[in-house]
Amino acid sequence: MPISDEAYAALEAIVGKENVSRNPAVMDSYAFQWLAELVRPELSHFMPRPVAVVMPGSTEEVQAIVKLANKYKIKVKPHSTGWYHWAAPMYDDKDTMQLDMRRMNKIEIDEKNGIAIVEPYVIHAQLHAEAIKRGWTCNIIGAGCSCSVVAAACAYMGMGPGAYYMGGHAENVLGMEWITPAGEIVRSGSLGSGDGWFNSEGPGPSVRGVIRGALGQRGGLGVFTRCAIKLVHWSGRTDWPVTGTIPAYRLPVDETQRAYTLAAPDWDRWADLYYKIYDNELGFIFHRQFNLAGADLAPAFWLMYTDPTKKLSDVPAMVADPEIAELTEEMRISFQIVLSGRSVADIELQDQILDDVLAETGCWKVERFCDKDMAEFTNVYLQRLGHKHINFVWVGGYIGSWMQIGTPDWVKGYIPTAQAGLARDAKDGLLVQCGGDAMMGPGSSYPGGGGVGLEQFVSYDPNDEASTRAGIKHMEDAITDALSIGYPPGKEAMYLEMGHSDDRTFKKWAAAKQPFTFIFQRKIKEHYDPNDIGDRMYNYIPEEYEPAK
Amino acid sequence: MALEDFKADALRCTRCSYCKWIPFDLVKSHDYAKGCPSVDYNKFHSYSAGGRLITMLSLMQGRSEVDDDVVDIAFKCQLCGNCDVACKVCRYDMEPLAGIKEFRRTLNEQGKVPAAFPKLIGNLRSAGNFAGLPQAARRGWTEGLGLKELAPGGAAAGAAAPVLFHAGCRYSFDPTLRSKVQAAAKVLTAGGLDFAVDPAEACCTGKAYDMGYRDDFAAGAKANLEKWAAAGVKTVVTPCATCFWTFKRLYPEVAAAAGLEVPEILHTTQMADRLLKAGALRPARRVSLSVTYHDPCHLGRQGEDYEAWDGKEVKIYGQAVVYDPPRPRYNGAGGVYDAPRDVLKAIPGIELIEMERSREAAWCCGAGGNVREAYPEFNAWTAGVRVEEAKSTGAEALVSACSGCEKNFAEAVAAAAAEGAPAGDLKIYDVLELLEQSL
Repeated sequence: MPISDEAYAALEAIVGKENVSRNPAVMDSYAFQWLAELVRPELSHFMPRPVAVVMPGSTEEVQAIVKLANKYKIKVKPHSTGWYHWAAPMYDDKDTMQLDMRRMNKIEIDEKNGIAIVEPYVIHAQLHAEAIKRGWTCNIIGAGCSCSVVAAACAYMGMGPGAYYMGGHAENVLGMEWITPAGEIVRSGSLGSGDGWFNSEGPGPSVRGVIRGALGQRGGLGVFTRCAIKLVHWSGRTDWPVTGTIPAYRLPVDETQRAYTLAAPDWDRWADLYYKIYDNELGFIFHRQFNLAGADLAPAFWLMYTDPTKKLSDVPAMVADPEIAELTEEMRISFQIVLSGRSVADIELQDQILDDVLAETGCWKVERFCDKDMAEFTNVYLQRLGHKHINFVWVGGYIGSWMQIGTPDWVKGYIPTAQAGLARDAKDGLLVQCGGDAMMGPGSSYPGGGGVGLEQFVSYDPNDEASTRAGIKHMEDAITDALSIGYPPGKEAMYLEMGHSDDRTFKKWAAAKQPFTFIFQRKIKEHYDPNDIGDRMYNYIPEEYEPAK
Repeated sequence: MALEDFKADALRCTRCSYCKWIPFDLVKSHDYAKGCPSVDYNKFHSYSAGGRLITMLSLMQGRSEVDDDVVDIAFKCQLCGNCDVACKVCRYDMEPLAGIKEFRRTLNEQGKVPAAFPKLIGNLRSAGNFAGLPQAARRGWTEGLGLKELAPGGAAAGAAAPVLFHAGCRYSFDPTLRSKVQAAAKVLTAGGLDFAVDPAEACCTGKAYDMGYRDDFAAGAKANLEKWAAAGVKTVVTPCATCFWTFKRLYPEVAAAAGLEVPEILHTTQMADRLLKAGALRPARRVSLSVTYHDPCHLGRQGEDYEAWDGKEVKIYGQAVVYDPPRPRYNGAGGVYDAPRDVLKAIPGIELIEMERSREAAWCCGAGGNVREAYPEFNAWTAGVRVEEAKSTGAEALVSACSGCEKNFAEAVAAAAAEGAPAGDLKIYDVLELLEQSL
């Protein structure tokens, strides 16, 4: 129901009239979310509409808003840049106010200690730009540099193509400022004892495991207002000399760096190559990136994309070009890697080692994609991750299925099933038929290797009901396919869960093989969120759903 | 077009918010990463291009109704086109800028416009210009220059003028900009260009198009095209970026409907660049000045060549969207960026320092989309942000090539000076003013 005039006036008093709205059209621009049509009744593109949108400007304002929410029993859903259906309110029958954190956008860099302190609306592109000027760089999450650092570090996975070398945000977050759902301010780690941001675990309260975990609570348990993130040494140029024009800019490859596309003849040798890259500690940014366009189309697509005179409609003719057809086969199982050395001698040694492991595994460099032009494009793409919205390039709708993370040998076990599933579900033309596999993912989500994951890129038309339904069916099929070969469900299960009722979801979690996690998290929620102003993005099961002991 | 024609764009928007930033590969700092003045000033997502598409969808689906907030959402935007550039870094099936313009036209047809608009359009209808000034005042800037004039009746009166210099309303009427348009005319004269001015010059009416008064725009465009055709005009050269864009990008559709031709359209910086490269202009006098150049939206990212298109969406590979025939891709790649820079580089003593947000990623001056008239505070804020950025380069002067930009920047610098802010000592020039100084 609409927010009361009294509660609304109280919000205005906290943030100022200009920073709060209950206009239906304004609120709809928050209810609209990517993936909503896959989980909402009648394929609506709108998640539940909030009762108000509020833009706090400080930690104190957030605290006051949260206390107000407790008083009026209104749920609070914060988002920073707000790109995912779980960034929006999830209940039709429970009042929720949306916190848009865009007014909190300050950044501070402790240059000496390699630490950045950021507010929620600082995005990775800003952090990265500021860091490299000072001889530092940072992990940028897989969703790309348009995303909030705080959201990724405190409330979501925080992994990315650079996590293999730099660590993901789960490892790199050094302290968090958290407004609990009850309205308390918690400052974690050394910050909590007034000793600055240098350590997440103390001296001071260590709550990273409680409130962050591996996946994060996606706005379901309070609001993060600041965090510190560890930066990583950057040996490249500090002036970011990007060249070219839209859409495909280029970044010259420094003399201490390399940008390659490598390919394997089959998935066994692909896995062997990954292990050898790990074992030899090669790689700075390591990602199977370009295959997102689909193995049949990717080479033509990228050669089209990097030519500003060409359009998407040029792809079919390019695919038919015999040279590109040959290239398509050459790089059918390929990935990208950026190497970074601390000196010319260092990078030359890395090059030599890479050549050796390529020879040992029967793999190769894809020359056309390693030439100067494509290397410079690969370099800017992976260093900045500023083209992640290209996930949606075919038709505007994209879902990632699979993406179970494990060792290369484990991952290669699901590739044939994932590939066959896409071919099956796309054969009637309701999904984009990009051929082969369309699997993309990090060389490793975890530092040092071993945490590879591949996500099947499935494109559907959100403007076409039949295509949208085919997308939903594909996700359901992918779950069945995974279970049929002994793998757990992947990303698609998380997507679909947003559309399920609490009852269905709690029953599912109660039936999990390890329901203790959900029970333990309920106890945390009961402590921090006594009035239930959060949502089940912080995963828990109520006591009444708890399986019999 | 109709609002419904942009429903697919809205449904295919993913709320990625790329439209709020400059292309990410170009981001060089925290402070100058933002690209959309509208959402940066008004804050709510509705004020971004994606937010506007969603608002349009919400209206189309009957989820909300047009009220004052919605009018604000539609019109409190400079139409600078950064959103279009940033969106199209990754998308080939979205036209956010065109969608916003259709949103405005639709609301205008319902009589839902900002309070300032009725008077503005009334001025155009009664006086022939948005300022409502008498036509006789338009000629003041030509005094003492000895310029040829297009004879009344044009070619029929026996005074064919292959090259017409179109000053534009703001340059013509605003005495604070007079030296700039005069400098442009002097430069072209010095380069030996045989051109004429039109003593009965009429408004380009591009602003009417952006306000949603499409009939007023079309009538004005047709009248100008007919006059030029009668006078045998082969080339129109203008110092005003908005006139340039209007002639180049908007007139062709009117011309096609009326069976008329659009002459060659050049900005004065392009013509000067031609004259320089042909050796007709030889800047010799040193102009010792460090400058930064501001790309006007209508000359830069929106200054691309017009391509006629009458096609439809088709699907390949099952669902991938393409267009038959291929749809023009206006993404800023083909804007006019190099000509003004080449002119500046040809001037002895000029040191050109780029701002972080330049070329297709330039931050708007604030004046576009009739924001200057309808939302003066927002206009001033936007200009203030830009002059601060210009000042941060260390340049002594901010140079541009558009009457709206130059007017806005002059006022922003004055405001900064009044506040004692660093940008208060920036000098504001037109590119051709500096070139003229060097001749």
